[in-house]
Amino acid sequence: MGLINYDVNKYSPRQMVMIPMIILIISLAILGYNYATTGMPVRPGIDFSGGTAVTLFSTDTPEQLKAAFSGYPLLSVGEGVNNGKYLRFGPMDDANLQALATSITAQYPDAKIDQIGASFGQTLQQQALIALIISFIGMTIVVFLAFRSFVPSAAVIVCAFADIVMTAAAMSIIGIELSLPTTAALLMLIGYSVDSDILLTMRVLKRQGKLAEKLSGAFKTGIIMTTTTFAAVAAMWAVAFAAQITVIWEIATVLLFGLIFDIMNTWLTNAGIIKWFVLKRGGK
Amino acid sequence: MVRPEAGWKMNSSKLKACLSHWQVILMLILIVGSVIAIGPRFEDGKFTTNLQYGLELQEGTWLQMEFKAEIVGFETDLSSDEFVTNLEKQLDADIYLIEERKLEIRSYYPRETLETAFTSAGGRLTSYEQGVSKQTADDVKRILESKLNALGTKDARVNPLSSFSGVTHYIRVELAGVSLAQAKEIVGKQGKFEIRIHTTGNETEHIVYGDRITSVGVPSHADPGNPTWGVTFTLDEEGASMFQKGAIATGATTNPEAHFLDMVLDENVVYSAPLSSELAASLEREPIRQLYASTGPGNEGLEAAKNLEIHLRAGALPVDVAVAGSGYVPAELSDYFKLVCAIAFIVAALAVGAVIYYRYREPRIVLPMVGTNLSEILILLGISTFIQQLDLAGIAALIAVMGTGIDQLVIITDEVLHEGKVPSPSLYKKRLTRALGIILVSAATVIIAMVPLALMDLSSLRGFAIITILGVIIGVGITRPAYGEVIKEILSK
Repeated sequence: MGLINYDVNKYSPRQMVMIPMIILIISLAILGYNYATTGMPVRPGIDFSGGTAVTLFSTDTPEQLKAAFSGYPLLSVGEGVNNGKYLRFGPMDDANLQALATSITAQYPDAKIDQIGASFGQTLQQQALIALIISFIGMTIVVFLAFRSFVPSAAVIVCAFADIVMTAAAMSIIGIELSLPTTAALLMLIGYSVDSDILLTMRVLKRQGKLAEKLSGAFKTGIIMTTTTFAAVAAMWAVAFAAQITVIWEIATVLLFGLIFDIMNTWLTNAGIIKWFVLKRGGK
Repeated sequence: MVRPEAGWKMNSSKLKACLSHWQVILMLILIVGSVIAIGPRFEDGKFTTNLQYGLELQEGTWLQMEFKAEIVGFETDLSSDEFVTNLEKQLDADIYLIEERKLEIRSYYPRETLETAFTSAGGRLTSYEQGVSKQTADDVKRILESKLNALGTKDARVNPLSSFSGVTHYIRVELAGVSLAQAKEIVGKQGKFEIRIHTTGNETEHIVYGDRITSVGVPSHADPGNPTWGVTFTLDEEGASMFQKGAIATGATTNPEAHFLDMVLDENVVYSAPLSSELAASLEREPIRQLYASTGPGNEGLEAAKNLEIHLRAGALPVDVAVAGSGYVPAELSDYFKLVCAIAFIVAALAVGAVIYYRYREPRIVLPMVGTNLSEILILLGISTFIQQLDLAGIAALIAVMGTGIDQLVIITDEVLHEGKVPSPSLYKKRLTRALGIILVSAATVIIAMVPLALMDLSSLRGFAIITILGVIIGVGITRPAYGEVIKEILSK
């Protein structure tokens, strides 16, 4: 495949690991800064923060909409193509919400309304965090059982972790909120990430042959895997963008970033660590 | 690179060889079964399938409701019953002992309030979790379902969401084809319940309305050892005297068999039986507040009692609920979502095919690969018609399965075909086993990573996790090994 002219054997382990580590540190700094200033590493959507979101199609300007809903705690009006508008409301009581829902349904019969109570959002947030932690612990156990060797297992886990952290930092830079669907997308990255990492580790550790050959062989296979997935997700991204389906577009954007970071983490971080590990053990 | 052979049509011996592998046969059975399960067809000129669409792909409303109740553990030197009696004096709430040293308090109190109350009642609060016991949650589910069925709501789902500790904090209701305002009304609405007594023939006379019923028990036996099931309910004082007067006036106390008592909910008779002779005799003398309606012995009697309990409550829930979250998707939008998902899927599949073709340039590899990939999705859709409705998160999971699926097919292909040639059978077997080993480890990792999501009540992420896990299992267990065998038969000379 001629698209990527990277020679996985050209650089020393230290050089390979350098760039991803710098990006990882910057990403952790971004998430840490967000956490320190807002209490959340990535800006939460209404799924986690609570509130009401309304998606509707209207030729009214945001100002007109703001005036029309001045009786409710309207926080912001976002605009998409095809006159799509995305209204976010702060918390309100049940009677108010009922009135809002009735009036929106009457004026815009094709509006989509979602409402999450603040405490429910809090619960979802905690549960998502717990799920993520348990997922990582479970993943670590499986990988350690499979390789029974600390460095290679740790490398796989570090790569999955780095993929998610870097992608989360990218989300926060381009302004994609953390919602249930984008959390799902971040978790999908675990699957994509471990695939190529495990392929690399298995090929290098469990096969006979020269290290350089095994690395370039694994790279050849791995890069097709990721480009194939990338192509599928990019297609989904383009369709969702053209059709203005925010949810799918957000999932696809998160995945595209994640896959780019995955290529870097697999073929720089993980390949660098495994190369160092084999060389140190006296392999060729 | 594999060089295309002249006329690579699969001959019958190769086909036979493919079919000698159980995974291939099972895969074919599953594909056929899935097509039947999905059942694509034209009905009234419109294309329909048996796929069940969940939220966002179907017009409808979801409501997530929070129970205004809590499950608490306690310690006391008193007996449990004594403690509960003390506590009832402190709190104006229904309190049930659900297990030794565990209470369900059917009213909302913050932890601090309860701590104070527990101390004054002679005990100590040891644990606190908002929600209700599984049994209460099931009662609520039953009540809501019977209410929704009675209203003829065409497609309603009620799911209590329990935490690991078994306490149910939320209950989620999904109603297809209903607006948000309507949904809230349906869930909150109570029916009109009344008791009538037959006068002459089919004529009945109104005796008392449901608002006179102060409490309704759970299904129980009439007395210990008696196989008959029934439900106890209590009338307030005025209700009891109205009941007594009515029973005497209609003649039910003197001749119960000729004057049946009817319970009517929203104009439908839900229970009809005569007064027992003891009750008739007692009513002659005094008003009776606590009544017992028997429904018969065995499972049938128990089911009838459960329904009667719901009817007596007239759809009122035993625990107050508050709406924690809700959402509505209009029909125009959900149809649009479905269309775009379908397009996105086709475009993604084409993109996968294009990249694979670019890499291998060999239709004999590309076609089985893409075919296997699409079969996995088809089988997954087929299975999902039985267990899981498709929502947007589910579609995301399908895409995830497609992505990891094609990844793993690439691993198999590259592992077994060295320089595009099929090695000797024994070496092939060794390499396929090695490829499946790689796949198995990554599959196990993905499954473990998804299990917490599938078990937790993160609403829409649950569907995502279930579909991902299923997809990985089908892929690793059946379709990907089958692909390994098929590609060997096709490519070997």
